[in-house]
Amino acid sequence: MAEIACTGVSKLYGDSILAVDGIDLTFVSGRTTALLGPSGCGKSTLLRLIAGLEEPTAGTVSIAGDPPAALCRRGGLSIAFQDPCLLPWLTVARNVALGRKLARQAPDPQRVDQLINLVGLGGFQNARPAALSGGMRQRAAIARALITRPQVLLLDEPFGALDALTRRQLAQDLPPLWQEQDATALLVTHSVDEAVMLADRIVVLSPRPARVIADLAVPLPRPRDPETPAFRRLAGDVLAVLARGGEQAQSLAAQ
Amino acid sequence: MTAASRWAGLAALLALWQGLALAGDGWLLAGPVQVAEWLWSNPGPTGRATAATLGNAAWGFLLGNGAAIGLAGIAALWPRALTLVAGLALVVFCLPLIATGPILRVLMGPGDGPQIVLAALAVYYTTLIPLLAGLRAMPQAWLDLVQSYGRGRWAELVHVRARAALPYLLAGLQISAPAAILGAMVGEFTGAERGLGVLTIRFTRDLDVPALWAAATLAAGLSMAVYAGIGWLGRRALSDPPPVILAAPRPVRGSPARKAAQAALLIGVVLVLWWAAVAGLNPFFARRPPDVAAALLWAPDAAATRATLGAAVAQTAGLALPGYAAGLALGAGLAVLLTLRPGLAAVTVPLAVALRSIPIVTTAPLVVLLLGRGATGTLTLVALMVFFPAFVACQQGLAQAPGPILDLFRSHASGPLRQMLHVRIPAMLPALFASARMTVPAAILAATVIEWLATGQGLGNLMALSASVSDYDMLWLTMVAATLLSALLYWAVAWAEGRVLAVMATEQVRP
Ligand SMILES: Nc1ncnc2c1ncn2[C@@H]1O[C@H](COP(=O)(O)OP(=O)(O)OP(=O)(O)O)[C@@H](O)[C@H]1O
Ligand SMILES: [Mg+2]
Repeated sequence: MAEIACTGVSKLYGDSILAVDGIDLTFVSGRTTALLGPSGCGKSTLLRLIAGLEEPTAGTVSIAGDPPAALCRRGGLSIAFQDPCLLPWLTVARNVALGRKLARQAPDPQRVDQLINLVGLGGFQNARPAALSGGMRQRAAIARALITRPQVLLLDEPFGALDALTRRQLAQDLPPLWQEQDATALLVTHSVDEAVMLADRIVVLSPRPARVIADLAVPLPRPRDPETPAFRRLAGDVLAVLARGGEQAQSLAAQ
Repeated sequence: MTAASRWAGLAALLALWQGLALAGDGWLLAGPVQVAEWLWSNPGPTGRATAATLGNAAWGFLLGNGAAIGLAGIAALWPRALTLVAGLALVVFCLPLIATGPILRVLMGPGDGPQIVLAALAVYYTTLIPLLAGLRAMPQAWLDLVQSYGRGRWAELVHVRARAALPYLLAGLQISAPAAILGAMVGEFTGAERGLGVLTIRFTRDLDVPALWAAATLAAGLSMAVYAGIGWLGRRALSDPPPVILAAPRPVRGSPARKAAQAALLIGVVLVLWWAAVAGLNPFFARRPPDVAAALLWAPDAAATRATLGAAVAQTAGLALPGYAAGLALGAGLAVLLTLRPGLAAVTVPLAVALRSIPIVTTAPLVVLLLGRGATGTLTLVALMVFFPAFVACQQGLAQAPGPILDLFRSHASGPLRQMLHVRIPAMLPALFASARMTVPAAILAATVIEWLATGQGLGNLMALSASVSDYDMLWLTMVAATLLSALLYWAVAWAEGRVLAVMATEQVRP
């Protein structure tokens, strides 16, 4: 369906900040991929490139063979930004419904309600963003991203401001929503546990400029339990790769 | 608290006014009691004049603001048009209303046309500028959101920009309501049949002191009422607090060649628009750009024309510039002083906010009455015209000093003076400069109005003279000269602003 193909993608900001360097990755539909990497390495930039919000300085991004803009215009792509980005003058329900409006889909108040309840914001339908906590805003933004039943779903640290319990709850409740639609999902996260919990595949990026330093499958059955030895072993491996990436960068910088 | 202190301030002002009137000999100053008596015993003519002025102001308000909203929308949809739109807006803003009046009079004939157009011209810029700022005052992420659904500028405008600009629009509308009354009255000064401006002229000629004070009070009261009314509507419509700094869009950055090209394009478009506006009209009074250039440069009496015009410009600039500088300095100085003395500010600031809404120019005859026809009157009027906006803007700028930095200073036991020097005054500068730019045309307007009405000097007088003897070449030339004077001063201020803020810049510089 909506396969994302990045070939030799690089992004240079200004003429000195290279954020992404020669990324070759393919993401197939129905799969969830977690992107892991140190802060400032270029993860958000990669998502923005895939959403067509930035033009790569080299290489190409295509979704189902076309430039990203084609899918965007059909309303088939949703991105939840790192900053929740709710419009302050709209209520939670209207902010969520805005997703459908912008994607030119017919209003669906029932689904709006359902999603708001699912992300745990039931009762806050008519609240304005200013009256929500940071984590609540993030959840509203996730609901807005899901409301259009996107073919490509890009989530940039969606659970960054949430407590451990809510994180775990959402990590269980949300993935079925996009998995049952065969969506191609990309999830940026700083939590190794979350990556192992949610993803079918984990891509570890190097410190800036982002390069792929590991591409791991997550062969664990669902539902996953973070306490099992298999889970812990995989999480340990990923952490080790991340740490090695950091050291490599340091030794490079030292030379 | 604010409402209470505002009423207290107003009551104090009325008492002071009445006290001065009682102390004086009644030749110059009519007190509030006399004014009320006069209004009470002359309801008919005043009522009709007020209705006429308000009607014209309302039409001008609608047309001018409609044009501003339309142009701002165009600039939001086609960002490339922004420079041209802002430049044209500035030229129109710099048009001297008092000279545009008689020209519109000959172009449009008797009736309400000129007053309405002048009211529209008076409101248009003060709405357009905040609106242009408001249509861009949002995090890039909101626009990214729209773009991520593959939607374009139209969807941005509908879903994000329009609503984000609403507080700015309302702030602009509030300022423009009194400006509409100002425009209508200036139009009436330059030869209308009805209206408060006409009454004012008549009372000035008759030296009817109570009537003159009554007309000025009425104009001031109406202005304050529409200002307060729109402010009230705005607060009802919006939950978010109104934005305070009304800065113009940043001047074009880029190479000198690019700037020169843009300036040339702007001048070209202005000339074409001028030509188009007078096309088909009687060339005897509807002068075209080449006619005016000929009169100035190669007509037989061009040298004499240049000498007359030059002298008038020098006279006007000689009074307008010092008055403008004095008004700015007083406004900024008083704002600083009152921030150091917060007790006093509780009464004076709400009062100044209310008084800012009064178009000072409409009280020009009173200033002449009190201070005579000499330089003092002109200087005072210009300074007053600049003082209130500068004072209120500086006051707001001072209050915007970043709290955490002030806390830092307090934690080091720095006194109010140090805080003022190192934190508050730098935070005030953007507001000071914004008001300095916006009041340039007001200063030129004040100078030319008082010259037109009273002093017999300068550009204003030359306008009145050439209008009365049908010397249309000179009338158009005075308009061009006054526009250029405003525009030059505006650019000088903008240049200084860029220089100063580049060094002192706080986060406020780019809203
Ligand atoms: N618009 C921009 N202009 C210039 N540089 C930018 C811009 N956006 C990002 N960068 C730079 O690109 C690099 C990568 O930024 P990016 O936001 O992609 O990092 P990230 O991996 O998402 O970090 P974090 O985990 O902290 O969110 C950073 O060094 C940042 O300074
Ligand atoms: Mg990021």
